[in-house]
Amino acid sequence: MNIEVKCFATLSCHSPQGNTLEMPEGTTVAQVMTRLGIAEEDVKIIFINGLHVDTDALLNTGDRLGLFPAVGGG
Amino acid sequence: MPEHPVSIAPEDAGTKTEDASESSVPNLSPKVVPSTHADTIVSAPRANGVHPEADPATSLIHKFASGGRLPLSVTKNIAHQIGCHTKDIERAALSQGILPERYIRNTSQLSLKDQLRLLESDVLLVGAGGLGGHVLDMLARLGVGKITVADGDTFEPSNLNRQLLSSTERLGCSKAEAAKDHATAVNPAVEVLVVNEFLDASSLPEHIKGKQLVIDALGGLQTRLTLQKAAQQAGVPMVTAAVAGFSGYVGVVLPDEAGPAELLGTGDASTTPVEDSLGTPAPVVACAAAMQCAEAVKILTGKPHAKGILFFDLNDRTFQNVTL
Repeated sequence: MNIEVKCFATLSCHSPQGNTLEMPEGTTVAQVMTRLGIAEEDVKIIFINGLHVDTDALLNTGDRLGLFPAVGGG
Repeated sequence: MPEHPVSIAPEDAGTKTEDASESSVPNLSPKVVPSTHADTIVSAPRANGVHPEADPATSLIHKFASGGRLPLSVTKNIAHQIGCHTKDIERAALSQGILPERYIRNTSQLSLKDQLRLLESDVLLVGAGGLGGHVLDMLARLGVGKITVADGDTFEPSNLNRQLLSSTERLGCSKAEAAKDHATAVNPAVEVLVVNEFLDASSLPEHIKGKQLVIDALGGLQTRLTLQKAAQQAGVPMVTAAVAGFSGYVGVVLPDEAGPAELLGTGDASTTPVEDSLGTPAPVVACAAAMQCAEAVKILTGKPHAKGILFFDLNDRTFQNVTL
């Protein structure tokens, strides 16, 4: 299945090409992060299609996954 | 009363204004007011159905308003002559359905009632740096009547890339004091209270008490959760934002809602903060501050605010609203 992945701020260097990724059905967010080489402690807020989720959330075809780090600047 | 009474008539009456749509505003008559003694103020106004015994400000406002608008110079002169705060004159004008000239370009979005509500608002702005400087500037131009600005910091060279209140001349100066100077210069109707310190869990409650809104314009994660909890405990809504690189988030956190602060944590002292490694260029700070102010206006005027936290990245124009 094909998913869209948006890696924000410091995580952007881990973005897949074209911000899309081919993964097997039943993939979790944690598995996507492992595939992209992103450490769990570096991600603070995860969302799929505009809803906040945890690392064990399952992904479906066409989902938009967002990964956001500990941004605090002002 | 000033020692030498001033003329109330607009200083720029008859001069060209910014564009054609505003040119109909003040071309007042009479152009010169016989204001050489105090009696003139009280006895003169009888126009527009205003009772002669009405308070002097209201009477003068009716006398010099034109087309439902009160010229800026008249606002200033009435305040000076009566010896009251500009805010009092604007409040009196708005209460009478008369719009102070400086808010003309707000009118299609903000009604007279909205403008009056803003003028009577009381907000706490925590932080007068990158986000805070832009927020303060916009709140002053919008006409938010009372702003308490808390920041214990002084300007340094690395602030100059983004902090609206900073300048080469202000290096080493208090950010909170600079906020007061700036807001007063932009809009003297705005009352700015300076708190020249970094607020913490013990000092936040007294400053949040009685406010209609808290604006989180902090730098760094360290105090954000403390601020969010203090606002929630006081039952006051908060508009929060943070940025790093060209990314950031903005959102409203109500007293009974989850906010981003508990998810983001309070930072790890052993690692470099994301915003320090990526920097915080001016566009991202101004963008986040503008979105904070858009929500602030909605809350202060009693309109529905945007739900969720908006995450954005100006590099590729990603804007994603997220329900926590």
